[in-house]
Amino acid sequence: METATAHATHHEHVHGHEEHHHEETFLTKYIFSQDHKMISKQFLITGIFWGIVGGLLSVLFRLQLGWPNETFPFLESFLGKWAEGGKISQEFYYAMVTMHGTILVFFVLTGGLSGTFANLLIPYQVGARDMASPFINMLSYWFFLAAGVVMFFSFFIQTGPASGGWTAYPPLNGLRDTAVNLGSGLGFDLWILGMSLFIVSALLGGLNYIATVLNMRTKGMNMFRLPLTIWALLFTAVIGVLSFPALLAGCVLLEFDRLLDTSFYLNNIIINGNLLGYKGGSPILFQHLFWFLGHPEVYIIILPAMGLVSEVLSTQSRKPIFGYKAMVFSILAILVLSFIVWAHHMFVTGLNPNLGAVFTLFTLLIAIPSAIKVFNWIGTIWKGKVRLSSPALFAIGFVSMFITGGLTGIILGNSAIDIQLHDTMFVVAHFHIVMGVSAFFGMFAGVYHWFPRLYGKYMNETLGQIHFYITLIGAYAIFFPMHFMTGLPRRYYTYANFETFNNFNFLAEFISIAAIIVFIGQLVFVVNFFYSIFKGRKVVAEKTVDGYDYANPWGTTTMEWSAPIERLHGNWPGDIPAVHRWPYDYSVNGREYIPQTEALKPGEVPHE
Amino acid sequence: MNVTLTEEEILKEKTEYTGVHPQKFALWIAMASMSMFFAALTSALLVKKGDYRSWENFKLPGVFFFSTLAVIGVSICIHSALISYRKSKFTQFRWLMFFSFLLGCLFLALQLQGWHVLQQGGMTLTENLSGSFIYLLTSVHGVHIIVGLLVMLVFLINAIRNRKDPIYELRDIINPKRQLNLELLVSYWHYVDAVWVYLYVFFYLNYQ
Repeated sequence: METATAHATHHEHVHGHEEHHHEETFLTKYIFSQDHKMISKQFLITGIFWGIVGGLLSVLFRLQLGWPNETFPFLESFLGKWAEGGKISQEFYYAMVTMHGTILVFFVLTGGLSGTFANLLIPYQVGARDMASPFINMLSYWFFLAAGVVMFFSFFIQTGPASGGWTAYPPLNGLRDTAVNLGSGLGFDLWILGMSLFIVSALLGGLNYIATVLNMRTKGMNMFRLPLTIWALLFTAVIGVLSFPALLAGCVLLEFDRLLDTSFYLNNIIINGNLLGYKGGSPILFQHLFWFLGHPEVYIIILPAMGLVSEVLSTQSRKPIFGYKAMVFSILAILVLSFIVWAHHMFVTGLNPNLGAVFTLFTLLIAIPSAIKVFNWIGTIWKGKVRLSSPALFAIGFVSMFITGGLTGIILGNSAIDIQLHDTMFVVAHFHIVMGVSAFFGMFAGVYHWFPRLYGKYMNETLGQIHFYITLIGAYAIFFPMHFMTGLPRRYYTYANFETFNNFNFLAEFISIAAIIVFIGQLVFVVNFFYSIFKGRKVVAEKTVDGYDYANPWGTTTMEWSAPIERLHGNWPGDIPAVHRWPYDYSVNGREYIPQTEALKPGEVPHE
Repeated sequence: MNVTLTEEEILKEKTEYTGVHPQKFALWIAMASMSMFFAALTSALLVKKGDYRSWENFKLPGVFFFSTLAVIGVSICIHSALISYRKSKFTQFRWLMFFSFLLGCLFLALQLQGWHVLQQGGMTLTENLSGSFIYLLTSVHGVHIIVGLLVMLVFLINAIRNRKDPIYELRDIINPKRQLNLELLVSYWHYVDAVWVYLYVFFYLNYQ
């Protein structure tokens, strides 16, 4: 009866005039939902599923790398012919490396990260009832899911999933001939199909995010009153809609080559002594198209994490963010630069050295906005009353990881040094730390911080802390030693034939053990997540207005907690509150925090 | 017992910042995105053309000039249809939508004829990259046209179904959502037409 009353009130408040309502069924509420909060949960849980799959793949291929001479009979029982006698086959090893990259880069850190937090935070923090087009938003999730289903399906076909690397370079992937490479058969067609669906999902999502932020802000929410999360998610979406089409173009050309025998990427291919009919193509063309997305893609991954971390650090250290506008313009600088550095992935393709120098210059320029951001994060927690809760810990861990990985980026950005380091474990260490692990830290900070907003409950703090320390120490244990595996090429199945690399055997084993521990550590998070959904500590109401309970668990200034704890469709009963101040009024005027929705006192000077 | 809001309720009074309806704004962003797609493909063409050793030049079939006229015709027709819709001249609206649809189909037929001419001249899909690029760009553009035609067909069928019933026509005038959808469709068509004009000029300059 109580909910009925609540909804009756809701009824009067939101629309006191004659408009019809749609009753929600199970299907419209949980499956084909057009509600941004439900779509956010769908993205998050799908992302967690993919995170487990991607992580498990890395554990499996670390078994091979750590103990190349051992056999693991238990593997045969669930990998079947891919691990005959308990030894992972070469084909499947490459398939796992490929799918590990694809899954984590696109399905977890793009779909799972941007999808979750853009959907959750944009409407809540700009003060909108939902996205500009809830229907397109729903489509965005369903394309994402369909992409995932196609990718997952490719594990269960005879020739196995794509195995030509997540970068999908032709000519290896340009021929459907499974004699060349098992994964270049149907598995790779499914990869292209899955990626195309994923790109459609990212584009539909992105244009919605941009339209929502630019058009649907509440009264008083001018651009410089937006929290940094929104700035970051907005710029991420801009990068996405401008760069994903290039990958789609690259994929279309690739599929033309594979299915229709054109020669966009293929030239004078000889297989078993036979010269194939392809002529005139250039595999480098694909690399240009791929990295025109591929480089901005790393910012698509890291920018949302940066935004979440900025917000979490400021909230949890009870201090205004240090250098708000510097943060905004740094993200903008990163956005612009991200489009003109792609060829730094291609220094060894025979790129004109003069051109290489230009790309080196732009690449190194990215260090400036990145350093500004790091400085500002440290400035934010400096002398703050930092609550070392799990979101704050992960945010601080993010900053640590980002510094460590960023430093090696400066080394790799130099074309002359890159020629030595290209395709070695040094590169693997760099990008895993700076975009893989960092982005995961940002994502975890976000999940712990906004879990109460998603589910009205807290995650378990003790488990969160355990999760943090395992992940921080473990991630360094995995990736730090890789910097010192000088000259060790990446993506090799075994180094047994190279005597010079024998001295890395211990390190390889150490890394594999660390990887297994970290993977188990992530299961702590998964257990915590699902346990807390059902049994977590509830967010306690601080006040009740018109039958709605309100709370502000972290004492945040931003708008998401000006809505009731209950997740209403439409977010606010009654009118959307107006905004009167910037989002970082922490520890000012003798108060711990002042919400954005609170009007200025007479005589009070706003921050701007 | 949950109640959901209708889309109109969510979007109510939400044009204050840019003066544009959010969904129209989203379409513009989608256009920027599609432009990047065609920019990527046409710059790929330029890169390959620079590799003159393997580039086999040929003259662009003249039929593509007529398909350009056809898409310009679609733009004029469908825009006039929008104007007559706004003025509630529904008979005129129906005919103009019908002509736009016909012209759109004519465009596709002319593109197919273009392919035919190319093949007659020995430039098949796999013959040389210079030809492959024409097939590629016309077909990915054609997919955009087909999507536009399908949506246009929905409007056309609705318009024809409504013709005997003045109440329905009246409902159309007072329904801002329907007018918005029509505006979105017209913008989309202007966009894909402009893309073809761009492609035609691009081909014309690169194939002589």
